[in-house]
Amino acid sequence: MSRLMSRLIDIVLKAQSMLLINMGELTYQALSTSTTAYLEGLTVQDQVREMSDKLLLMADEVEDRSFELISRFQPVASDLRTIKSYMKIGYDFSRYGRYALDIACINEQIHGLKTCRMNIKDSVEKMSETVLQMVKISVDALRTHDVELARTIAKLECEVDEMYLNHLKLLDEENDTTKCTVSSALTARYLERIADHAVYVCESIIYIVTGEKTRMR
Amino acid sequence: MTTTIPTTIQEQNNIEQSQQEVTIDQTAKMQAINVNAWFGSKQILKTVNLAVKPNTVTAIIGPSGCGKSTFLRCFNRMHELAPNAKMNGKILLDRENIYDRQTDPVQIRRRVGMVFQKPNPFPTMSIYDNVAAGLKLTGAKKGKQLDDIVKHSLEQATLWDEVKDDLKKSGTSISGGQQQRLCIARAIALQPEVILMDEPCSALDPIATAKIEKLVVDLKQDYTVVIVTHNMQQASRISDYTAFMYMGELAEFGETKQIFENPKNKLTENYITGVFG
Repeated sequence: MSRLMSRLIDIVLKAQSMLLINMGELTYQALSTSTTAYLEGLTVQDQVREMSDKLLLMADEVEDRSFELISRFQPVASDLRTIKSYMKIGYDFSRYGRYALDIACINEQIHGLKTCRMNIKDSVEKMSETVLQMVKISVDALRTHDVELARTIAKLECEVDEMYLNHLKLLDEENDTTKCTVSSALTARYLERIADHAVYVCESIIYIVTGEKTRMR
Repeated sequence: MTTTIPTTIQEQNNIEQSQQEVTIDQTAKMQAINVNAWFGSKQILKTVNLAVKPNTVTAIIGPSGCGKSTFLRCFNRMHELAPNAKMNGKILLDRENIYDRQTDPVQIRRRVGMVFQKPNPFPTMSIYDNVAAGLKLTGAKKGKQLDDIVKHSLEQATLWDEVKDDLKKSGTSISGGQQQRLCIARAIALQPEVILMDEPCSALDPIATAKIEKLVVDLKQDYTVVIVTHNMQQASRISDYTAFMYMGELAEFGETKQIFENPKNKLTENYITGVFG
C-alpha cells in the first residue's frame, strides 16, 4: 500500500464542513427560539429573521464554495458525493431557518399558543420537542459523519408524522375555527416540514459515507 | 448463453499460475481470461480478467508501474515482442483466443490497432503515405481505392480538412496533436475492429487533447476502443467503462459513472481522489 497523502481539497472540504456545522447550530438556535416564543407568546420575529437571513447567506456561501471546489479540483467519488450533499444540506438548513421564521411570524401576525387550550398547546409542544431533537440529530450526524446516528431519525420522522395527523384530528374535533386552531395548524405543518428536511440531511450523510441512496421517508 | 472454460497454459509450462473459473462473456468484443505477464522473473500482471464490450470506450487507469500498458499490449500480442517478455492466459477476440498457436500475430495487430503515447508518424513519409503505409505493405489497395481509404481515414480522424491540401508534406511537418490524429488515421486505414490507445494525449496541449478526446468518443460508433490514461478526468469524460489496476491486478472494473461516483474498492477511492501516490 502506498503512503497516504494530505490533499489540498481536504482543507477546503474541512472549511465547508465547519461552515455547515455552524449553520446547523444556528438553525437549532433559530428553531428553539421561535418555538419557545410561540408557545410562551414572546416576540422574537426580528431576532429569528436575522438568523434566517444569515442562514440564507451561509447557504449561498456553501453553494459558491462548492462550485469553486468542482471547478478547481474536479472531485470524484466520496469527494464528489460530499460536495453534492453539502450543497443539499446547506439548502435544507436554510429551509429550517425559513420555517423557524414562519413560526415566529405566526406568533406575531395570528396568535401564539400561550392562551390557547391546553390540549392544542401540548400537542404542538410535544411535536416541537421531537422536531428539535431531529434537528439536533441531523447536526450531530453531520459533525461526526455517524451513519448509525443518522439512521435513528427514521423512527422520529414516523412519530412526527403521526403527531401531525393527530393534531389535525384534534383540530377537526374543535367546534369553531379560532386563531388558536389556524395558528397551530400552520405551525404543525411547518414543524412537519422541518422534520422532513432533517431526514433529508441524514439521508445525505448516509450517502456521503456509504454511497448508498437511502429513502427514510 | 455462457460457457465455462478452464484456462490453459499457453507458452510457459514452467510458470506457476493462479487461475479462476471464468465465464466467457458472449457479448464481449475482447476478453482477457486469467492473464499473467512477466518481464524476466518480474511478474507484471496477476490473473487479470476483463471483458470489453463492443462499440464502447474502456479506460484503464492506475498508478505508474501497475501494469496497465503491459495489459494493453497483451490485447494485440505486442507484449511478446519485448525481450524477456512472457505471458499466459487467454485474450479472446470475438470469443477466439488470439494466442492460439495457429493465429497469425500480424493479422491480430491488423484487427486490433494501436496508437502510442508519443505521436510517431514515419518521418520520411508524406502525410498520405503515412496513412497508406499499412495498406501498401499488405498490397491490397491501389490507386483511387487507396485514395478513398486515405481520405476516409483522415476524415474519421478529423484531420482531413486541416491537411487535404498538404498531403505530400512530411508527416512530421504538422503539429503534435495533428501528428497523433495522423497516427489514429493510420490505424483506422487498416480497418481494425479494436483500437488500443496508450496515453495518446500525454504529449499534447489541452486543445489537441480535447480534439483527440472528441475523436475517441466519435470512434466508438465504428470501433471498440481501449485507452490507457493517467488522466482521471479524461477517463471520466470519454469512457463508458473504467478498469482500475493496482500492482498488476485488476482492483475494480465497472461503468465509469459508478467508478467515479461510488467506487466499491477502497483502493480505487484512494487512487482517484489522490489520497495515495
